[in-house]
This record gives sequence, structure tokens and C-alpha cells, in this order.
Amino acid sequence: MAAPANGDQAQNIQYTKEPFIEDVGPRRLKRMQFATLSASEISKLAEVQVWKGSYYDPNRKPIEGGLLDPRMGPANKISVCATCHGSFAECPGHFGYLKLALPVYNVGYLSNILDILKCICKKCSHILLGEGERQMFLKNMRRFKFDALKKTDLMKKIVKKCTNLTPRTMKCSRCGYINGKVKKAGSGPNSVLGIIHDHSKLIDGLEEYKSAISHDCELLYLADRPEKLIMSNIAVPPIPIRPSGIADGDRSNENDITEQLKKIIQSNASLQQELSEASSAGKHLLGWDQLQVDVAQYINSDVRVPFSMQATKRLGGFVQRLNGKQGRFRGNLSGKRVEYTGRTVISPDPNLKITEVAIPIHMARILTYPEQVSRHNIEKLRQCVSNGPDKYPGARMLRHADGSQWSLKFSRKRRADELKYGDIVERHLEDGDIILFNRQPSLHRMSIMCHRARIMPWRTLRFNESVCNPYNADFDGDEMNMHVPQTEEARTEAVLLMGVQNNLCTPKNGEILVASTQDFLTSSFLITRKDTFYDRAAFSLMCSYMGDGMDHVDLPTPTVIKPVELWTGKQLFSILVRPNANVRVYLNLTVREKNYTKLLANGREIEAMCPNDGFVYFHNSELVSGQLGKATLGNGNKDGLFSVLLRDYKAHAAASCMNRLAKLSARWIGNHGFSIGIDDVQPSEKLHQQKQETILEGYNKCDEKIKLYNEGSLPPEPGCDAAQSLEARITHILNGIRDATGKLCMQELHWRNSPLIMSQCGSKGSPINISQMIACVGQQSVGGRRAPNGFIDRSLPHFLRKQKTPGAKGFVANSFYSGLSATEFFFHTMGGREGLVDTAVKTAETGYMSRRLIKSMEDLSLHYDDTVRNASGCIVQFRYGDDSMDPANMEGKNGAPLNFERLFLKAKVTCPAGENETLSPEKVAEIVENRLSQQDMTSEGGCSVEFQTSLKCFLDEYVTALKKAREGFGLIESLAGMENSDTLEKIVLHISGVTARQLEVFLDTCISRYLSKKIEAGTAVGAIGAQSIGEPGTQMTLKTFHFAGVASMNITLGVPRIKEIINAAKKISTPIITAPLECDNNVNVARMVKGRIEKTSLGQVAKSIKIVMTNRSASIVVTLDMDMIQDAQLSIDANVVQEAILKTPRIKLKREHIRVLDAKKLEILPLEADRSKIHFNLHYLKSLLPTIIVKGIKTAERAVINKEEDKRTQMNKYKLLVEGEGLLAVMGTEGVDGHNIKSNHIIEMRMIFGIEVARRCISDEIEYTMKSHGMSIDKRHMMLLADVMTYMGEVLGITRFGISKMDKSILMLASFERTSDLLFNASITGKVDNIEGVTESIIMGMPMQIGTGMLKVRQRVDVPMKLSYGPDPILRN
Amino acid sequence: MAEFLFEDIFKIERLNPDGKKFDKVTRIEAKSEKFDMFMHLDINTEIYPMKEREKFSMALSSTLNEDGTPDTGYYTQPNRKTLADNYEYVMQGKLFRISEGSGHGGRAEIDASFGGLLMMLRGDPSHFKKYELDQRLFLLIRKV
Repeated sequence: MAAPANGDQAQNIQYTKEPFIEDVGPRRLKRMQFATLSASEISKLAEVQVWKGSYYDPNRKPIEGGLLDPRMGPANKISVCATCHGSFAECPGHFGYLKLALPVYNVGYLSNILDILKCICKKCSHILLGEGERQMFLKNMRRFKFDALKKTDLMKKIVKKCTNLTPRTMKCSRCGYINGKVKKAGSGPNSVLGIIHDHSKLIDGLEEYKSAISHDCELLYLADRPEKLIMSNIAVPPIPIRPSGIADGDRSNENDITEQLKKIIQSNASLQQELSEASSAGKHLLGWDQLQVDVAQYINSDVRVPFSMQATKRLGGFVQRLNGKQGRFRGNLSGKRVEYTGRTVISPDPNLKITEVAIPIHMARILTYPEQVSRHNIEKLRQCVSNGPDKYPGARMLRHADGSQWSLKFSRKRRADELKYGDIVERHLEDGDIILFNRQPSLHRMSIMCHRARIMPWRTLRFNESVCNPYNADFDGDEMNMHVPQTEEARTEAVLLMGVQNNLCTPKNGEILVASTQDFLTSSFLITRKDTFYDRAAFSLMCSYMGDGMDHVDLPTPTVIKPVELWTGKQLFSILVRPNANVRVYLNLTVREKNYTKLLANGREIEAMCPNDGFVYFHNSELVSGQLGKATLGNGNKDGLFSVLLRDYKAHAAASCMNRLAKLSARWIGNHGFSIGIDDVQPSEKLHQQKQETILEGYNKCDEKIKLYNEGSLPPEPGCDAAQSLEARITHILNGIRDATGKLCMQELHWRNSPLIMSQCGSKGSPINISQMIACVGQQSVGGRRAPNGFIDRSLPHFLRKQKTPGAKGFVANSFYSGLSATEFFFHTMGGREGLVDTAVKTAETGYMSRRLIKSMEDLSLHYDDTVRNASGCIVQFRYGDDSMDPANMEGKNGAPLNFERLFLKAKVTCPAGENETLSPEKVAEIVENRLSQQDMTSEGGCSVEFQTSLKCFLDEYVTALKKAREGFGLIESLAGMENSDTLEKIVLHISGVTARQLEVFLDTCISRYLSKKIEAGTAVGAIGAQSIGEPGTQMTLKTFHFAGVASMNITLGVPRIKEIINAAKKISTPIITAPLECDNNVNVARMVKGRIEKTSLGQVAKSIKIVMTNRSASIVVTLDMDMIQDAQLSIDANVVQEAILKTPRIKLKREHIRVLDAKKLEILPLEADRSKIHFNLHYLKSLLPTIIVKGIKTAERAVINKEEDKRTQMNKYKLLVEGEGLLAVMGTEGVDGHNIKSNHIIEMRMIFGIEVARRCISDEIEYTMKSHGMSIDKRHMMLLADVMTYMGEVLGITRFGISKMDKSILMLASFERTSDLLFNASITGKVDNIEGVTESIIMGMPMQIGTGMLKVRQRVDVPMKLSYGPDPILRN
Repeated sequence: MAEFLFEDIFKIERLNPDGKKFDKVTRIEAKSEKFDMFMHLDINTEIYPMKEREKFSMALSSTLNEDGTPDTGYYTQPNRKTLADNYEYVMQGKLFRISEGSGHGGRAEIDASFGGLLMMLRGDPSHFKKYELDQRLFLLIRKV
């Protein structure tokens, strides 16, 4: 790196390694501005005028003045630039220019030119506005507060104003010229490209632009002169960006741009010809149109051109080079190809540590790391140098301190001997080197992590299976990539920030991600079975498995001492967690495994005494009870073994435990054997019989329902018609069959059955999978229903029409073992295809969603004042997640920072009570009060109020429980007398007492741990949040779900719903208003309110609508069905109907036409008096009347009463769920509790309640959707997303329109979507880009202002001034 | 001679009260004669078979040393005289919980785990005053 200015002093410091100083070069890019070039500027920039449409002369030399003029740069590696004499690698190329005979439009600016022409007078070039208006608009345009978006809107307004001028005012207010219409040349296939206006036929079309005054330019939001939008000179780009290759023989391969330029030159020449022919004056110039088309296609080859002028071969224009995924922006600027990488197939190796990756030796010989020679490594590097590039621990290159480089292919011996300190050797990879390891799709930050290399033979990249999860890798042929960081700084940063050890947890919700899988779970499950016993030999052997026999292991006392010494598998796990007394890990945890049965003994859970051994309890690193399965060892649990180790004893403890477990289980299961065969899926006689019974029973039930349905006496489900309720019932029964057979299998199978073991321990498969193999495959569904009818009224021609039996609608009664029948097989393929299609479609959809999320949030980062800001410093959140906690470190459920119960248990167990006195409840409360009032618990000390209250709440609960326990024993105490009280006191202590020491330890750990969980400044919270929401999207299956409690009410969930929320869609597919009632304990009241909301048409409540014709009059008489109205609790009578009819605008009836006869009858007279038409009129009315809505809210489709049972009070609570929009109307309905109403329609919530409610609604809705798919995401991420969508004061969708309103830079937007449009627009308006954001920095190749790049470290390089010690100068004088 | 923490004669009432789950291990439900204690205990019946209605004497001790010196926690080879000599089946484990055996009349309950083989002993609180949480326990059984 360059030495600093005052070099001599700096020379004095001896660095062990030169500090890395970022090379900012001579100048630092601070901002860039987009602009347009005028014709003269183009010609000034150019080195050469291009005018010949040819490439090479017969001697294969580029022609001067041709398109490959050597002055524009070297065309290939052999040639040299004629301007700067640089080689192909050195010369960036130089521009040329091409003069056009007549000016043409630049297609990119065509619409803007149109707008300008619409606004100005074609004679005097002034704007077509009165002076007053002009001043007013100008003032607005110059307002400081107006950002680009508002200015664009204002400009649009001006254009509209000018085009809407009536012919009278079309007259220019200055010169009185009457302006004609301005329009784009027609859109037909043969119309030319251009604009038609008064002067468009004139050759000298530039005049009006040139004379437009600058104030008018400002009004039209132009940064520069308008004539620059018209092209009269074309800049010919330098040759290096359009390289010319020489194909065999005489032909050369030219770039599309070059070829298009050639076409332009040709048409330019023919236009020149046309112009020179005097006769053509005033005639339509065909050549001009051709030139226009060619130039347009040069810029954008997708532009629509007249059919006759279409080229046979479409050549890519500039826009095509920029646009799209492979375009310049996304393909080359935002993502770049790099060196020092490798890629091969991956495979597992449980003998590696979780932080390691095995690199094939072939790769290690190619990839290098530049290591500086020092006295510590000179011998090693000397060996490397002498081995050369082909022998393994070798080196490929040697760099001397003076910058000279030497390949080590030759004369290695000498170079090895001459190796000196300070030389840099590019040596092969060796064990322990830092490697970045990555698998696509990189959906979250754990998809690229830092491992340490282990050089191994063979050809695959290998790693511990425990790390499969974060990469989402398996070994069915997956390939992965690796990168080798090349500087010491990069390595350090990689290991600290991206190391596997430091990324065991996902920031999505704080769950552990790197954890045991598959075989490891199976073997742990089998080892810890209650009846596994090992003798001394076997036990010692297994102890040596887990540490390669190299670790010290304290052999515990055997469980069974007599009659024979026997150790249990659980003791082995105690060793695994804590191999010897020097390992100070005291693990304490309780987990309820899958097979835990919640038996109650004396009103209390039996916990450890569970007969299935499902309660895992580690007590001071000793496994006391429980068979270990996925809940303890697997991922996705916050209280599992590795999570607890990670939280209490940091990453190293968790990682080394995982290493031990991996080695133990892989070796153990290798000896033990675990395989699956046909006998595993053979049902026993008993099982077969029971299964047949279950199926038969289910079939009978279905037949019953079908019979009822055919008779028409099937009671309908709420909100469903008969057919729907039949379907719902049958589906319910059939799913019951599958579950029942599944349960049966789990019961009947022998415990050694491999599929059963796998499903029990959670390594693979579920009871349903087992049931499908052994007993019954179950119902096949397509689109959430039973198999649809592909034929008329039947699914397949094997069945009768309208047959609704299980078999005819896709129920597969056979198992995979017994084999499917032909129809069953066909139904199964239908279901299977849906699954395949769904996954294929979803990957694309979620991928795009993730991309949009990232683009909108990538630049958000946390600053030192705890605020979340975007790149331009605009505050999005004042405090990240309201408490500035790091989601990755959250231990408790629902994003709570700590799990108090576990910590309390740990405090109690790790600090034995001993002889210490237990505290009385009052004393406990006092100590707690004291501690909580100390400085580090206040909000200034960094504790949120929420945390304070939760901690207090927990301890209060504890104190009351303690009181209760004492009371329970206190009763006996009084009876037994004093002598007994001592023992009782002790027992109470053991049961629930706490000593002062324990309480102190608990409080201190809580508080200190809470404070250490603060998120670090610089964290890219935006990117993390976007990933945390985007990544779960890929796992979401199924599209709709039943609404909780109410059948028949479907709401959109899954990816489509997330999409709706994120897009801030104006119209959502299932809007639902949840309306609580003022009186929510009475079902009748609920029905009444429902009646008020639901729309009721006249046809529904009318008994009859009849035409009555007498000889005197003709009318329609409507009779209301009062019984039904009473039943439905609707308050409708004839008067209400009359009002309703009058309010309907379609029927143009007046009050006098409707006569109310009595409460249930009304007569409607026809509008028409004409006798001949009266008949038709009556019939028209009769057909229209039933559709009139007499009561209810029009936008509400239907309302359903939802019953909810309150567990505590045993009371039923009712609320209404209204399908449809119209929140305001529902709120205003009598009986609805308008204060607590909510809707899932975000835009509607925004309209009615405002932006804050919309924000809340967004985060709630995302949370709800994710939760219903069983995915938990930290609320902080959703809050951030909601804030991003609302911080501008309106709900902005995460779409191209929304993102462009979010105050983003042009480069970032251009790298997102609509690249070319944005760039054209930016150059017209002269946008400035400050290069602050992430994308901009990447594009410009600068460090970004996020994370470690947020601040610049100023390092003092000069030696501090030497202080002279002596008497004070004042005294001296 | 060291004193046992507890010694009594139990009678097996039931085997596997919740159904048979394991091949080698049986959970026995037993009641004591002297102190009216109730016990659930997992026993390796493969090496020490037990049947219903059998009677056995059970003792709990914190050490196997005859002189009553506390157990060191390190396992020494059993080639010397110990308390175990008088018993047929000996297990070593840990007391991990003392709790109120709620319900009838303030009974207390201790839970111990012998390498995963669990014992639950319920009885009057006065019998449990010698127990400490986290204590090493030796369980000694002989049939009578």
C-alpha cells in the first residue's frame, strides 16, 4: 500500500505486517450525475470521425475512418491503439463520432420529446401557458421540499394542462401562432417512427428547441437543453466494448453494435444522396425514415418499426446490453466473476469437525493463498517453493518485495534457496486455511459460511452432515462452491463474521440451525434407549469413538454394579456432554420429546417418569431420563441440547459436542447396522385385519352420508350448501381413516422396525409415511379437493356417474406394499403431478419475491444511536424492533430475550443449596425489588420496559407459588409441632425454596445476558430481515387454509398471501373483516347483527313477486315472507323495502310509484304510462326487483358467526367474520364493537385508520400467515418490513413502483428493473447519485457503508511527538 | 458399619403399570411394609428377573464403603468388601428431584435416576430428611 505523506517518520515503525490501508487512488468517487451530450460535445470527445461503413482493407488492416479505425482502440490482442499506443489490456478505447445528414429522434427520449412539443409553441418556442400560470408552476417546481417524484408529477400536470387547451387558447399567448395537434406517429404496422406536428416535415426541426428559454426547461423538468434529446451526431463507442474477432479465412466476426453502426452509415449515405438531388426538395424523404429506424434500433432493438423496414436479423442494441438478468447491471456490475474459486460435488463425512471442509487435493494444488515469508514459516514455504506447482504442498508463484513475479514452474531450487523474509509465496492450500463455502440458492446469510480447509484425497468437497441444514444441501449430486480469501484481513473478517461456529443460530428466529440430522438422531435415539446396556469393553470402546480415542474420559461408576457391571447408553451421553472433570460444562435442560405422553399423576405431570421415556432431563450434564430425539438434538428448537450449550457455554462447547456426537453416532451405527427391507413394511395379520376394519367402517360412514345427501336430509354445515357439506364430511371421515391407520401402525409395529424408529426419533418420515407404506395410502387431493371430474359427472369412466364413494373420488385404500389398483394409481399420479407443478411454480415466484424484498431493504443498517436508517440517512425505525435486541440471540418463545424458567432451574441446580438458609417469600420479593432498581436495569442502562416487566412477572409468579407450597406444608406443621418443622423446612427448600445466592446468580445472569444480547451497530438489519421473510417463503406448501374454527371460510395463505401483503395489493382475493360484537355472549344478538351486515336481496325475503293486471291498472305486488324474516331476525318490512327500491338508481321509480299496502305487502306501479309498453315494463321490473338489495352492506359477500370458547370462564364468545370489503360500513353497523374491529385488507385499514394502523396490520398479517404454516419468524423482521412499507407516509408495495418511491438512488433502481427507462429519465432530469447505498457501492467498486465498512478507522501512522520531560516551560523562563 | 439412608421390604404389586415398553427393563410398582412407601422402579430384568407378588428388601445408601466413608465419585474396582456383598442387585445413580407428592396429606416424593433407570419413591416427608439434591445413591436389592 502507498506510504503516507510524511513517510520518513512512518518508516521508523516496525510492523509485523503492513496494516491494510484502503487505496483510494488519486481521487475518490463521491457522486455521479447523469446528463445528456450535445452534438458538439460528442464531436469534441471523439478522436476520429467515422464515415466509412467498412471494416478491413484487403490486407486485413482496419480502414481509417472506418468502424474499426485503430484510433478508437485496439481491436484484438495483437494490435495497438493508434491514439495512446496502449495494448489491448491497457487501452480503454476512445470514442469516434458519426455525423448524421439530418437529425433524428433518440428513441429513449421519444415520449419526453412528445411531451415537450405538446407544451411549447412551434413558432416562438415559448410554453403554451399564460404568464400567471407559468409563474405559479415555476414556483412550485422550484420548491425545495419537492423531490424528484413530485416534480415528475407536476410536470405531468403541466403537460396535461397544455394538451387540454381548447382550440381557442391553442393560440400562443406571445406570438399568436395557432398551434396544431401534436401526436405520436400512428401505431399501425407501417407507420413511421416519430412525432407528427406542425413542423415535423421541415428539415430544420431543431429550431424550436434551440430557442426554448431556460425557465421553460425548468418547468418541463429538463436539466439541460432540449435539443440534446435529438441526435445529430452519434458517438461511436470504443472498439474494446465491441470487439472484432477474426474468423477463419477472410471473414471477421463483428459485434452487433458495429454491424448496426454500419447500417446507420449506409442509410446516412443514401439520405445524403437524396438530399443532394435537388428534385427531392419538399418531397417526403424516405431515407430519413430509414435512418431514424436504424438509429432507433441501434439504441433499442426492441423498438417497434415499420414492417417494411424490419431487419432480417435482429441485432442487440444498447438497451439490450443493459437490461435483464444477464445484462450489464445485474450480470456484470452487481455480481462479478471472481478468481480463487472451486466447485464440485459434495459428500458427507462425519469425521470432520463441523467447522471443517475437506478440499480435494486436486483443488488444493490449483487454489493458492499468498503467504508472506517470515521467520516462522520460512522453512515450510521453502519446501513449498521447491515442490513447485504440481507436487502437493507446493506453490505456484513467488512475488518479491519489489513487485517482481516469478512462476515456480522452473528453477525452483534456486528460488527456494534465495527465499527471504518479506517475499510472498502463493502456496497451495493447506490444512487450516480459511475457505468460504456456498451453495445456491443463497437464500439467507448462512448459505455462505466460512470453514477451515482439510486437504483430502479423492474428488469431492466433504463436510459434516450437521451443516447440511443451513446450506439446505443433500448428497444426491449437489454441487457447492468455495472461495479462498486472499488477504489476512479478509480471512479474519470471514472467520469472525461468517464462521460456522458464529452462525450456529439463524437470525430468522434464534433457533439453532446447525444441529444433528438423520443418522445422528437415529443412533442417539437407539443408544439412549432405556434397555441398552453395555459391558466394560463395549462401553469403553464407545467412549473412544467420540474423541478418536485421544480425549481423556472419566469412566463413570456403572449403573448396575451387581450381578454384573453394566453401563447404560444414557451414561454414554453424560460423557459426551462432559467427557472429564476438567470440562466445566454443567448442562441443565428439560425437553419433551415427540413420544412424551402427558400423563397426570395426582394432578401433576409425571415428567421424568413417562412410561415412553419421552421426557429428556439433563441434570448437571448427566442425562437423567429421556430418549434423545429430534426435539433435543435437532434443529428448530430453542431449548434443545445444542441451543442450551450455545447459550450457556458459547459456540465452542456446542460445536465440540456436535463433533463428538457426529463421530460417535456414525461409528456406532456403522457397527450396529441400520437398514430397511421388505419385511419392515409387511403388515402383520392383526394389523391387516384392523386396517380393513377401519377402512370398512369409514366407508360405511361415507355411504351413510351419501345416502342422507341423496335423500336431501343432510344437515348443512354453517355457510355451506348441501354438496359442499357432504364433501367436507366425507373428507373429514377419510382423513380420519388415514390417521387411524397411521396410529395403528405406530402401535402394532415392533420397536426394532426401522421406519418406526426413524419416525419416532424424527430423523425422517412421519406416521403417515409409514401408514402409506404398510396400511393405506389415503385420500389423493388435487387443489385441496378430492379428485375432480375429468369426465362427465365422474372422475374416471370406471365409475358410475355422480358416484361419490371414496373410491370413485380418489381414495386409495391400498398401501404401497400391497400395490395400487389401476384407478388408484391414476389418482395418485394426479396428486403427485400437482405437487411437482406447485414446487416448480413456487421456486420462481418466491425467488422474485426475495429479490424484491432484498432490493427494498438492502441498505438499511443499524447506527450507533440505535436507529435504523437507509443509505441516505433517513430514519426508518427509531429503535430496532423497539428494544434493539439481536433476533439471532433470542432464547425465549415468541422472540423474548430470555427463557426465565430454564435459567432459574439452572441457577438452582448449579448453586446447590447446601446448608444455606432458604428465603421467605417476603425476603425474595425484597431482594428482587432491590436488584431491579439498580442502574443496569433502568432504561438508561439499556433494559427495555418490556424486559423489566417480564422479569418481574416471572418472579412474582414464583413468589406466589412459593407461598402456596409453604402453606401446603404449613398446615401439617401446626399439627406436628415444632420438632418436625426443621425437616419440613428442608423439604420445602428442596421442593421450591431458593437461597439468597441462587437468587442473586439468577438475577445477575438474566441481566448481564440480556445486556449482551444487544444488536451491534452496523448490522445490515434490512438484508437480514428480507432474507428472514424471503427464505421461509420457499418452504410454504399449499395455497389456502380453512379459517380457524369456521369450515367453508377459506382465506388465502401461503406464498400468494405474502405476495398480496408485500405488493400492498389494492384488491386482495379474500378480504375478511373480523368484527367483535358489543354483546358477545349471545348467539341471537350475533345473528341479528349478522342479518344487518349480510346483504339480503328482495328475492330472498319475498314470498312472491307477482304481476297483477286488472282492467283499471297494472302493477307488481310484492309479498314479503314475514315468517322467514322473523326467523332470520331481520328487521325488514314493506317500508324498508320501499326505501331500498328508491335508493336503487337503476330503477327510476319515484316515491309515488310505490305504495305500501301493509307491513308485508307493497304494490309497484310501472313508470310507463304508455299502454303499449306497459307490459314490457312490468316484466322488466319483475326481473329486476329480486336483485334489489333491501338490507345489508353491498360489498360484504357474507358474514359468518364464529364461536370461540373462552377456556377460563367456559363461556362462548361470538364474533362475526365478514367476507368482503366495506370496513367502514361494518364498523358503523349497530351492535358491532367498532373499536376492536379489524380487517386483513391493508389498504382499507390505511384508508380508514391511517398509516400507523396499516403498519401494524402489515406485520400482524405476515406473522399470521407465517404462523399458519408453522413457521416462526422474529417479530422484529416483520416490524422492519412494515416500517419500510410505511415510512414514507403511505403504504408502498415492494414492487418496482413502490421501491422507486422509497428515496433510492438511480443506480440501485436501474439494477432492479426497467433499467433503460430509468437511465434515460435520469439523464433528462439530470439526477445526481451520491453512491451511498449497497448496490451503488458495488457497482462503483467501493466499500459499502454497512457493517464493518460503516466507519473508517483512522490509524495514526506517524510517530507520536516525543514529549520532553522537564520543568514546566513557564517555570523555566 | 455404615448406616443406610433407607431400608425396607417391598412387595411387588404390578409389573409395567403402563404396559410393556422395553425388552430388558421392567418397571415395577411396589409398596413397602414398614413405612408404607410407594415405589416405581425400573429394573434390568434380563439379568435380575422379578415377578409379581415377590418380596424384596431394598436399601438406599450414599456409599458402598463398609466404614461409611463418603463415595468419591470415582469408580474403584470391586475387589474388596463392600456393602454390596450382602445384596444381589446393586445400582448406582443420582437423586435429581425432591418434590411434594401432592394430594393426600402432604406426602413427599423423591426421584432418582440410575443411568436412566428411574425410581420414584413416595411417602411421608419425615423419611426424606436425609436426602440431598444431587446426591449419589446406591440402590441395593435382595429377594427375601
